[in-house]
Amino acid sequence: MRRRCCRTPRLDLPPSPGAVPMAIPLAMPSLPRGRRIAALWLPFAALERRRLTGPAALWAAVSGRHLITAATPAALAAGISPGQALADATAILPELLLQPADPDSDAAWLRRLGRWAHMLTPLPALDPPDGLLLDVTGLAHLHGGEAELRAALLSRFDRTGLTARIAIAGTTDAAAALARAGGTEIVPAGGEAAALAPLPLIALRLPAAQIAALHRLGLREIGALLAQPRAPLARRFGTALLATLDAATGVRPRPLQPLRPPTEFLATRDLAEPITTRLAIETVLAALLVTLCAQLRAAERGARRLLLRAWRIDGTVQAIALGTGQPARAPRHLARLFQEKLDQLDPGFGFERLTLEARVTAPMVAAQATLPGEDGIAPESRSQALAELLDRLSQRLPVWRLAPRAGHWPERAVARVGPFEAILPPANWPGPAPRPIRLLRRPLRLSAVALLPDAPPSLLRLGATSWRVARAEGPERLAPEWWRDRPDRPPRDYYRVELGSGARLWVCRAGPPGEAAPWWLHGRFA
Amino acid sequence: MTPPPPPADHETDTPTAPGLDQAALIAALRARIARLDRSAAPAHGSLPLSPAIDAALPGGGLARAALHEVLAEEPGAAAGFCALLLARAGGTVLWIAPEPDAWPPGLARFGLAPADLVLVQAPRRAEALWAMEESLRCPGVAGVLLLAETVEMTAARRLQLAAEAGGGIGLLLRPAGSVDPATVAMTRWRVDALPGAGGAQALGDPRWRLSLERGRGAQPQSWDVTWRVATERLEVDGMTALRSLPRRRA
Repeated sequence: MRRRCCRTPRLDLPPSPGAVPMAIPLAMPSLPRGRRIAALWLPFAALERRRLTGPAALWAAVSGRHLITAATPAALAAGISPGQALADATAILPELLLQPADPDSDAAWLRRLGRWAHMLTPLPALDPPDGLLLDVTGLAHLHGGEAELRAALLSRFDRTGLTARIAIAGTTDAAAALARAGGTEIVPAGGEAAALAPLPLIALRLPAAQIAALHRLGLREIGALLAQPRAPLARRFGTALLATLDAATGVRPRPLQPLRPPTEFLATRDLAEPITTRLAIETVLAALLVTLCAQLRAAERGARRLLLRAWRIDGTVQAIALGTGQPARAPRHLARLFQEKLDQLDPGFGFERLTLEARVTAPMVAAQATLPGEDGIAPESRSQALAELLDRLSQRLPVWRLAPRAGHWPERAVARVGPFEAILPPANWPGPAPRPIRLLRRPLRLSAVALLPDAPPSLLRLGATSWRVARAEGPERLAPEWWRDRPDRPPRDYYRVELGSGARLWVCRAGPPGEAAPWWLHGRFA
Repeated sequence: MTPPPPPADHETDTPTAPGLDQAALIAALRARIARLDRSAAPAHGSLPLSPAIDAALPGGGLARAALHEVLAEEPGAAAGFCALLLARAGGTVLWIAPEPDAWPPGLARFGLAPADLVLVQAPRRAEALWAMEESLRCPGVAGVLLLAETVEMTAARRLQLAAEAGGGIGLLLRPAGSVDPATVAMTRWRVDALPGAGGAQALGDPRWRLSLERGRGAQPQSWDVTWRVATERLEVDGMTALRSLPRRRA
C-alpha cells in the first residue's frame, strides 16, 4: 500500500524528479485519494478566440477609466500591459489593434469549451475566467500515460490556435497554480507540496492584501509559507489561508465542481468514419437506445429526460433534449420520440461521436402482464398507449389539460396544466350558473344597443354584421378578484343572449351601465 | 400494436349440402355479409344518442371506430353536439384545433369531465392531421375531435383507417360553408341551433336541429332535439315529425 497523504506534508521530502508518469497509482483506482486533475490555463483565450494576432489588446471601462484588460504576446513585448490606461497604450504603440472586452461572451465561450471537454472526460469543470479543470483520473492510459495525454491536449489546442498551459497534479489547486505559474508539469501523487514550494504566493490566488502582508513578513514563496507553524498563521491570517494551503497540498483537497454531475445512464458510440446521413444517425441512435434501455432495465428505472449529443468533427457539440411524461425505457417508443426531433441536427461534415444519456430518471418496475379486458386489450396497455401518444404529440405540438380552479373570474376558472397531471375538480364545481362551452381567448369587441341603460342588449353589432337579440338572461355580475387583480379593473355584467337564429352567446359589459362601457363577446353556448 | 384479427374463414354455416332449408341459408349468408361490412355491424359498438335517432342508425347508435363529420351551421351548437358525443365515448378524448377554445365549465354540463379532456394546439393543417391520425390509432383514446376547414379525401380515408385500428370515435368539426359532397366519413351531420323553449327572461335548455345528411346504411333525415341539462338526456321533440331529406348518392 502506498503512503496515504492524509497527514501534514513534510517539506524535507526529497524533491521529486520532474515527470514520472508511470509512478501514478493508475492500477489502484480504489484508492480514496487517487484523483488526477489536469488544469488548463488559456492565458490569451479572450484574444485568440477573436483571432486577434499581432499587436492587439482588449480594453474595458473600469470605474470611469479606459484600461487595457488583455494583450497579445506581441503587444506585451512592445510594452503594453493589462491595467494600463488606453491612452498610454496607444501612445506607446500607435498601430495597436484595440477591441472592447466582453467578459460575458468570454464566459459563454469558456462554458462551450467546457462542454466540448466532455469529450475528454466525464468531469470537466470551469476555472473562470480563463481556465479549465479536467478530472483525468483513470484516463491517462488511453493516451499512453499522463505525459502523452498532456502532449495530446497541447497539440489539440495548438491546432485550433489557442495557447494553453497544462499541468497535471493530484489536487485542483495545485494543478491550477502550476499551470499558471509554470514549474513541474506533471506532479506525482503526494508530490504537490514539493512541486508548489518554489512558486510565488500569487500562484495560490490569495487576496492581494494578504500577499502584501505575507511579503512584509519575508514570506515570498509557498514553500516558506508551508514551513511556518500553522497555529500562528491561523491566528494572524485566519483559517481561510490554511484551508487554501491544505487544499493545494492535498491534506484536505477541494472537490472539483464539475460542469454538471456525472450521469449514471450513458451510452456512447465513437465512429471511425464520420456519419452525415439521417439513416446512419438513426441506426446509431437505435443501438444507443438499446444499450441505454438495458442499463435502465437493470436499475429498474425509466427515463424522464434524455439528451442526445452529437460531436461534429469541427469541434461543435449539438444536443437534442427529450422529455417524457412518464418513465419510459422502451427503445421503440423512445426512437419514435427522437424521430420528431432529429431534423434539428446539422451534421455538416459529419458526426464523429454520439452519446445518449438519461439525465433524469424515475423508478419504474417491470409491468406485470394482466388479463385482457373484454375487447382484448389490457387496461395497463391502454394507459401505456395513451402515455406514449401524449409523449409523441407533445414533442411537436403544445398539449395540455385544463384543471378547474376555485375562482369565478372567467379567465381564471381553469388553469393550463401538463398532459400528465391528475385533475381533481374542486367541490361544487362548476356551480349552478350556465357557462359557455367555448370561451374566446381574445374577446371580440361588440357594439350594443339597449332600450334602457341597464337593460339587456336588444341589438348586437360585430363589425359589419348585426344581430337582433331574441331573448336575454342576466345580468350576472362578476367582480374581479381584488386580491389578485389590478385595482382599477371594472366588474363585468354578463348576459346570455339568444339571437334570432337560435345561437347563444355570452356577452358582457365591462363597467357600469352607460354609454362608455364597452361590450364584449366572450363565449358561445351550445 | 393491435394483433391481427383471427382468420374468419372457419365458418361452419357455409352451404354444404344442397336442399337445405333456404331460410337458414339466407340467414347464414346475411350474417356473413354483416361480418364483412363494417358499417352494418360496428365491431367496437356504438354511442347511443337518443332512442328515436338510434333506431335510424345501423348498429343502434353512432359507430365507434369510425370517422364522423359534423358541419357547423352554428359553432356553439355543433361544439355542444360534439362534446356530447365525446362525453359518451367514455374515456380520454382529445380536442385538436388551431386554437383550442374548449372550456371545461361549460363542457361539464354535457358530461365531459375535465379529467378526460386533453387539448392539442395544431396551427398547421398537416400537423393537425398527423395529431388526429396518431390519436385515433391509439387504443387508449376514446374519441378525438378535429376542428378543420377542409380535409381532402385521402387524408379523411387515412383518418377512417386509423379510427378502425384504434377503436375510438373520430369527429371532424367543420364550418358548414365549404363542403364537398363526397365524404369518406361514416356519417355526416349538419347541426344548427334552434330557438329555445324558455320564456323572455330565461333561455331554457339548448335546442338543435340535427340533420343526418349522409350515412352508410342510414336514410338521410333530420330531428329537432332538446338537450335536457338536468337529466343529461337528448330528447327528440315530439311535435316535429321526421323529415326525410332528399337522398343524394355519394
